[in-house]
Amino acid sequence: MPVTLIRNIEKDLVYRLKDFFLTMQDFFLFGVRSFLTIPKIRRYWRDFLDQAKICGADSIPIVLVSAISIGSLLAIEVGNLLEDFGAKTMLGRSTSISVIRELGPLLMGLMLSARFGSRNGAELGAMKISEQIDALRAFGTDPIAKLVMPRLVAALIMFLPLTALSDFAGLYSAAYMAEHYHHLDPGIFWNSVYPRLALKDFVVGFAKAPVFAVIITLVSSFNGFSASGGTAGVGRSTIKGIVVSSGLVLIANFYVSKIVLENM
Amino acid sequence: MIELRNVSLKYGEKEILHSVSLTIEDNTIKAILGPSGVGKSTILKLMLGLMRPTSGQVFVDGVEISSLSEAELFPIRRKMGMVFQGNALFDSMTISQNLGFFLRENLNLPEEEILRRVQEQIRFAGLEGYEEQLPESLSGGMRKRVAIGRALIFKPHMILFDEPTAGLDPVSSKKILSLISSLRQHNNLGAVIVTHIIDDVFNVADCAAVLYKGEIIFDDAAPKLHESEHPFIRSILSDKILEL
Repeated sequence: MPVTLIRNIEKDLVYRLKDFFLTMQDFFLFGVRSFLTIPKIRRYWRDFLDQAKICGADSIPIVLVSAISIGSLLAIEVGNLLEDFGAKTMLGRSTSISVIRELGPLLMGLMLSARFGSRNGAELGAMKISEQIDALRAFGTDPIAKLVMPRLVAALIMFLPLTALSDFAGLYSAAYMAEHYHHLDPGIFWNSVYPRLALKDFVVGFAKAPVFAVIITLVSSFNGFSASGGTAGVGRSTIKGIVVSSGLVLIANFYVSKIVLENM
Repeated sequence: MIELRNVSLKYGEKEILHSVSLTIEDNTIKAILGPSGVGKSTILKLMLGLMRPTSGQVFVDGVEISSLSEAELFPIRRKMGMVFQGNALFDSMTISQNLGFFLRENLNLPEEEILRRVQEQIRFAGLEGYEEQLPESLSGGMRKRVAIGRALIFKPHMILFDEPTAGLDPVSSKKILSLISSLRQHNNLGAVIVTHIIDDVFNVADCAAVLYKGEIIFDDAAPKLHESEHPFIRSILSDKILEL
């Protein structure tokens, strides 16, 4: 009996490992094909514009809300802490580094993972379930070129201005709170921001945008393309896409910061 | 001509098709009959190269397609039009955009020619006035006619129908079947029809194959089904619809 149990566990483990590596291989090939189809962007420029609007202009409100809330909160909390040390004049310096290097891009990435990634997963999953992706292939159209590549290019382009917007909104909300909550003169706040910001602070922040764009688009689209099992399957693949891409965004955030800061 | 030679297909450990051999001649209508979930739709996807067999070969006009790349498959797929079971219309596009999709994507035709061909299919399918509607606003029968029009628009040699009358009311079913019959008369087309409704076979097909437990148990002229002694075929002839 225990031998049979161990054999079953071993068989299950082998099956799961095999499945995991096959999925990783499929994901890798999916990613490579998405990049290789980028030269076809002129053919699918309308799809690109649609996706640029969805992940760019339509995402502005959620990016602003998250950036303003985190910028304000950061100014209040860090200001309180600095006040204990009599260093409230350093508020601009500390909040600007946090917002530009880390929190601005990270929050934008998480918000877009939820908004853009969930939309991709659900839309492509529904297309897969209703055989629309098979229909594209049957009519001689490469579904990756038509559906994934425009999303990828749109995200690569639009995530950069969204990062800038997130940084801008976060910093200005922090400046507003510094003035109205901590009664810090705006000149003192901005004077501690500008002269001390270095190029590497911006490189760390903005290097994350294309990394997040690739992670969110490819993970959510791959999960949509892999959907099976009816509407419940679409739900499962959408959730999986959001969870995995959010996790990868958090991990990538750490490594991009580490690599850039160590090398600049 | 489409030919499947000793085709087997496995999903994980489960064998769906076991050594299936079938030939579909040009300009004939062949029905593939069998209970739900037996692998009938899978056969159509194998013919289009949308799936690859675990073993065996699939030939389209003498070309073995199961080892071809996606790019090499595109010219093969253009010889066949596919009408999916759920129609698979692009739900974000209007009816005329759905009909013109293939032409805009793959053929370098002037817009006037595309519009002319779209109008031709709109008239053929009896959908005048619905050109700018989205698929969701049409009835099941109308959607099926759009799907047939979309498959016909690039003038294929063969059309593959996956359960063309499933889920339709009797009147719509009759319209779709007469549309399929008229295809050969007017367009000189061959067709493969996958169905679980035996009346559809006798109404439109010249020949029939019966798929049962992953194997072909009958492959001959449709009227000869009545002569078969196979217990499964006897049972479907008496029940008419396979609710399995």
